[in-house]
Amino acid sequence: MLQIEQNNLLIKKTFTEKVFPKDESSSKSLDRIVTDFDFTTYHLSTLNDNKDLILFSIYLKFWNDLVKYGVESYLTEKYEKFDGPVTILPKSDVEMNYNYSLVVDLSQLQGADEETKQNLIEELSFLKRHCMAAPFEKAFARYDELAQTYANSNTYSEEIQAELQKEDILTINYRGSDESIYIKPSFDRVTVIFSTLFKDETDKIFGKVFLQEFVDARKRSVQTAPQVLYSHSEPPLDIQKAVRNTGDDNKGYVTFVLFPRHLVKGDRRDNCISHIQFFRNYFHYHIKCSKAYMHSRMRFRVKEFLKILNRAKPENVDEEGKSIETKKTASGRRFDIGRV
Amino acid sequence: MSQSLKPYLTAVRSSLTAAICLEDFSSQVIERHNRPEIEVDNSHNPELILNPMVIARNENEKILIEPSINSVRISIKIKQADEIEQILVHKFTRFLTSRAENFFILRRVPIKGYDISFLVTNIHTEQMLKDKLVDFIIEFMEDVDKEISEMKLFLNARARVIAEAYLTPFD
Repeated sequence: MLQIEQNNLLIKKTFTEKVFPKDESSSKSLDRIVTDFDFTTYHLSTLNDNKDLILFSIYLKFWNDLVKYGVESYLTEKYEKFDGPVTILPKSDVEMNYNYSLVVDLSQLQGADEETKQNLIEELSFLKRHCMAAPFEKAFARYDELAQTYANSNTYSEEIQAELQKEDILTINYRGSDESIYIKPSFDRVTVIFSTLFKDETDKIFGKVFLQEFVDARKRSVQTAPQVLYSHSEPPLDIQKAVRNTGDDNKGYVTFVLFPRHLVKGDRRDNCISHIQFFRNYFHYHIKCSKAYMHSRMRFRVKEFLKILNRAKPENVDEEGKSIETKKTASGRRFDIGRV
Repeated sequence: MSQSLKPYLTAVRSSLTAAICLEDFSSQVIERHNRPEIEVDNSHNPELILNPMVIARNENEKILIEPSINSVRISIKIKQADEIEQILVHKFTRFLTSRAENFFILRRVPIKGYDISFLVTNIHTEQMLKDKLVDFIIEFMEDVDKEISEMKLFLNARARVIAEAYLTPFD
């Protein structure tokens, strides 16, 4: 299990149960709260008056950032094709304490074929991925524009370089203000920078080892991968003006430089977005995994040490814990003193 | 075993064998008390403490043996070449000391400047075989280095696999 799934398994399961009911019991009402990475919460509930209608809401900590980068229109584009079974609620009707709500009408799905149903379930379980993809899509679209504009000009000239410097940086504070994603489009690349916080000393050092390997991996084997750069506590120059409270010793900045080959429109671009937005989760997940492994390894080693130490104890001890010689009769039987 | 490790361990072994030569000894200061004399402030009766001894392989790896009439304190400094080894040694010794009650001779807090300390008293030598105790300390010193470097190698190998697995699907 090296990669983390991008969809939410529980959402998928819940909808599968509902869409393909096995027996009577699944037509019961439903009220389920599901959590996901980065403080995300989903709420799945059947509406009071009609059990065929499922209200599906999502709460994201960084929703306000996403709104700036057109998340709503992006989501509409994604779920429009299921018009009929899926209704996107207008802003005023969104469930309390949540950011975005959909209503899935099961009765309208009855006539649909298997594939459409599966497709719908699949897309619903990708809700968080789609939310987070909006700013990436926007940045990539800007890259397309810039690539067009500067296709025939001398991009080394100072004016153009200065122009590109001024390009807006898209910021998503995906875990509060401490950890953010910065995206900066340019005419020949898109730079994605993650800032991440290490909670304890061990994480920090393990993180350093991991990131060093990310930097080296490209040189060694996967030459076509995006370029990775790592800087500790000091933000990279590109985003210096966008970053607040710099110089935190527990902070790390990881830069991915995506080249045109990663940004080819279509599947590859989608894949790239899905993959890069999960970087933090992937990274921290593996740090924790290594720590857990170290722990079990130490446990084993301690057991071994105990075995060695216990060899020092003579096998026969009397009540006071002093060693006594084993007494045997000629036939090899033993006198068991004081034992039954 | 490397060239310099063997003489180091041989020296430790013979020094320990000589140092762990203990007898029951009641406190001279307080009646009906019997304490490991090495752990007590012994300005009153310095005759109970013997000369401490440091055996060093290099500045990063050394052992301090402090003998007294009824107890010996043995402190070990484990090799730490870089940040990663430091954190691994720290984690490992913490793991051990939090299980000190199972280890009988392990001291919960190491002496300043060392990573782990053992305290052998006359009670231990009465209950356990002295040669095997020395064996334990020697094996501990050997295995700890091995374990730390294996863990470090593992961490690097894992990091490499993780990085490649993440970067490959981009294409």
